[in-house]
Amino acid sequence: MSVAPLVRRPLGCLKTSLRQARQQRTTIRNMATETTASNSTSAPALEHGFFRLTDRKTKTLRSAFAVYPSTAKPAAPAGAPKTLLPPPKNPLEALHAAQIKKMDPTGVRTALFSKSNREGAKVGDILLVTHRRGGEPFAGVLLSIRRRGIDSAILLRNHLSKVGVEMWYKIYNKNVAGIEIVKRKPKRARRARLTYMRKPKHDMGSVDEIVNAWRRNRRVFTTGKPRKGGKRPAAAAAAGKK
Amino acid sequence: MIQLKTMLNCIDNSGAAVVECAMIVGQKRHASIGDRIVVVVQKQRPSAGEGMGGSSSSKVKRGDMRHAVVVRTKQRVQRRDGSVIKFDDNACVLINRAGDPIGSRVNGVVGQELRKKKWSKILSMAPMQA
Repeated sequence: MSVAPLVRRPLGCLKTSLRQARQQRTTIRNMATETTASNSTSAPALEHGFFRLTDRKTKTLRSAFAVYPSTAKPAAPAGAPKTLLPPPKNPLEALHAAQIKKMDPTGVRTALFSKSNREGAKVGDILLVTHRRGGEPFAGVLLSIRRRGIDSAILLRNHLSKVGVEMWYKIYNKNVAGIEIVKRKPKRARRARLTYMRKPKHDMGSVDEIVNAWRRNRRVFTTGKPRKGGKRPAAAAAAGKK
Repeated sequence: MIQLKTMLNCIDNSGAAVVECAMIVGQKRHASIGDRIVVVVQKQRPSAGEGMGGSSSSKVKRGDMRHAVVVRTKQRVQRRDGSVIKFDDNACVLINRAGDPIGSRVNGVVGQELRKKKWSKILSMAPMQA
């Protein structure tokens, strides 16, 4: 970077520098398309190649200038000019779908809280959430379901030693080993969020007795052998596989 | 969100029932689960042997200034895995200056954040943690 000519002829220098910048930008663009092309050929075919995170084995990083997802036709002629591609249609939706597929390959978690599933968990049911990292499983009344794609979460409320406790759990969290429906609400709740259950008049209190009774009943129907970790009856709407 | 003048339940058997926050120790923002605070005892727990000993079982008196550790908050506390916990009340456990609990037992659930903040003595005294 020479400073002297800049002082002497500021305008002309600005012009040249701008020109240089423009040239650089064009080269960067070309480089970007190159990298995408190479990516599309080398990476394994996935419906959203874009949303794959860094591969831990190969340690390949995504280029910051690449355009995703690659919609380049494979049969493009070699000598054809390479151009920037238009952005994907609905990138966020596709990202959520890809992430959910990664976190919940079997689809049980999605099914348990989907609106269309009649057997799924509804607001007002009593659920039991089991952790993978030890700790006591947390049971409580389902107060609300927060549907936000991969960030979907449920709100459970219970009383532990006479103190009301509320927990939000992400349903696609890998640490959440299982979510089981202990008891269904006999009548469908007419609200989407049962925040009124925090009031003393409507508070259910502790659900531990109901959960314990359900545990005892379940033991009657099984063979009596001690359960292996993570294995659950299929009817209990277990979520999460090894 | 424990700050100046917040009233907390005291859930140990030190003799205090309700305490008021007077200061947050070591930080300039509101206190959360596992943070150390200075409290003033506002209400004493009625002792079991009322007639003979008076306040023999209670180790603190009304008006005493003590240190305490917050163990439950009404304010939601988020964990690393995205789960959030919220209790229905604000509660604390009294400690001395060295950090040892004044009472000998804790009645009630405490937050798991105490583990991260190294309050293992209070955790071992608590009947359950959430």
